[in-house]
Amino acid sequence: MSAPIPETTQAVAVPTAPPSRMDGLRRFVTKPTGALSLAVLLLFVLTGLFGPLFVDRPGGLGTDILQAPSASHWFGTDDLGQDVLAQVVWGTRVSLTVGAAASGLAIVIGTALGLFGAYSRRADAWITTVTDLMLSLPLLPLMIIVTAIAGPSIATLTVVIGLFSWPEVTRLIRSNGMVVVAMPYIDGARALGAGGWRIVTREVLPAVVPLVVVSVLLTAARAVISEAGLSFLGLGDPDSWSWGRIMLNAQRSGVLSTAWWQTLFPSLAILLLVLAATVAGVRFNDTRDPRLKDR
Amino acid sequence: MSAPVLSVDDLSVEFATREGTVHAVRHVGLDVHAGRTLAILGESGSGKSVTAQAIMGLLDTPPARVSSGSIVFEGTDLVGASERTRMRINGEGIAMVFQDALSALNPVYTVGDQISELLRVRRKLSRSAARARAIELMERVRIPAAARRVDDYPHQFSGGMRQRIMIALAVALNPRVLIADEPTTALDVTVQAQIMELLTELRRENGMGLVLITHDLGVVAEVADDVVVMYSGRIVERGSVEELFQRPAHPYTRGLLRSMPRPDREDDELWAIPGAPPSPLRAPGGCAFNPRCDAVVDVCRTDQPELRLIAAGRHSACHLSQEVFDGRA
Repeated sequence: MSAPIPETTQAVAVPTAPPSRMDGLRRFVTKPTGALSLAVLLLFVLTGLFGPLFVDRPGGLGTDILQAPSASHWFGTDDLGQDVLAQVVWGTRVSLTVGAAASGLAIVIGTALGLFGAYSRRADAWITTVTDLMLSLPLLPLMIIVTAIAGPSIATLTVVIGLFSWPEVTRLIRSNGMVVVAMPYIDGARALGAGGWRIVTREVLPAVVPLVVVSVLLTAARAVISEAGLSFLGLGDPDSWSWGRIMLNAQRSGVLSTAWWQTLFPSLAILLLVLAATVAGVRFNDTRDPRLKDR
Repeated sequence: MSAPVLSVDDLSVEFATREGTVHAVRHVGLDVHAGRTLAILGESGSGKSVTAQAIMGLLDTPPARVSSGSIVFEGTDLVGASERTRMRINGEGIAMVFQDALSALNPVYTVGDQISELLRVRRKLSRSAARARAIELMERVRIPAAARRVDDYPHQFSGGMRQRIMIALAVALNPRVLIADEPTTALDVTVQAQIMELLTELRRENGMGLVLITHDLGVVAEVADDVVVMYSGRIVERGSVEELFQRPAHPYTRGLLRSMPRPDREDDELWAIPGAPPSPLRAPGGCAFNPRCDAVVDVCRTDQPELRLIAAGRHSACHLSQEVFDGRA
């Protein structure tokens, strides 16, 4: 017998092209939640990147102090006469940078520890213990202490937020990684002589990548909130604008209750960004889930 | 017969469970010879798959533990071997085909990627050479239109075709020993025959030793040279396939053979060994088969029979093996 055996299940000629990246994106934006959240995120990124080219860096003293929003100052002005819109635009850059960088740091640590814990039983005991411990710590006071000791700067904020945000990621990646590690194809790889490193990076990691993407978005949203909170408490970089600092200024100058525009617009920016990131994360998760029929 | 390629001696594997230690495999010895097929025959829970996993180093330790014995492959003892040694021998020395090929292939890579990655890592082939070799291997296991299908994902293949790809992966590095753990259980009968034929053919061509783990007596009769029958973690009988099928020397083997459907006979009633295999936690005293045995005597309930030589190339672990062998019990 040497002739090829005809395949018995020659299915109806279905186009067998695997779903491409573009298909995923199109599916993502078919629902308004996907399109809208993506548009908002894009708007923020563009503002952060190019906004400062069009708006002067807020600084110095202006003549129009504490003006309500108007045609000349869309978001009003603060007690020094600086334009709140300009502050929000410049703040976007810092808030986004810290959010993205801190989330990146948390994701790298969290994914690495999560995968390691899922694969190695021995390491798992330690990783789980440390993760649970971190999750039970009161994060805000800890972040305040560490930032205060290290000295406030954008870099400090990023590292501190990143170092305190990985446990959620670890927990998520570990629990899903454990399911993959138990799959017979992991034994299959081992039977062919694959080592631990290869199995974790080539077999387990690709299976949890969608979750990593979701985690990036959710962790970034939380990092933005943490950054705003720490800046509001005066632990941000005093030389650069961020949304938290705008509100801190309002609080310091005692206009929190009168100049509503000075706190409303940065808060709105935070709310919108966090909401958009969360919705985009959920939407991404849904497009990836084959159990949801109507995706 | 030349020296065995793979020699398992006195292998015992135990699992620590909440209810106590389970002795899944006890004092098992096997010899795998180049170019021959050894069938390990047994029902679920007999320890045949655990033996294979121990050979491949796939047991999770803990809870599993190899408590005694050695697994010697070409002079290297694999029990307690370093991770590095294992990685070198797995795939190139000993390879394995799993029962369920769909779950044993990674769903996120094309089959071509999976075969060529193996070749690129272990044979240091270039990307294009590995791809060409992957197509060759797929043709070798008779995947139709291999050049086109190399970019398909595992789920796009039928069960039989997937098992062929699994086999292509397993033989990609020309292993000296191929372990096939119930390779045809998930397939329908016509495809089963094709897969068995392919395995036998590859064994002959590459001079591999083939270890076939199965509960299918028909498959054993057709392709095996030597048979090892396992029951409750122990080897109960061993011999060449013709002799063992003609003249079983253990009541369990005899029962198995008797329970094979015989459409050529007039009486169309199916016979089965009464009872069920014992739980590995509560094995009966003496011979584990004694509650189900039709030739049981008092000593069977107290003493564990040793695996003894009863004729040239024939071993049986039964107090009455000689009587069963001679057809007197």
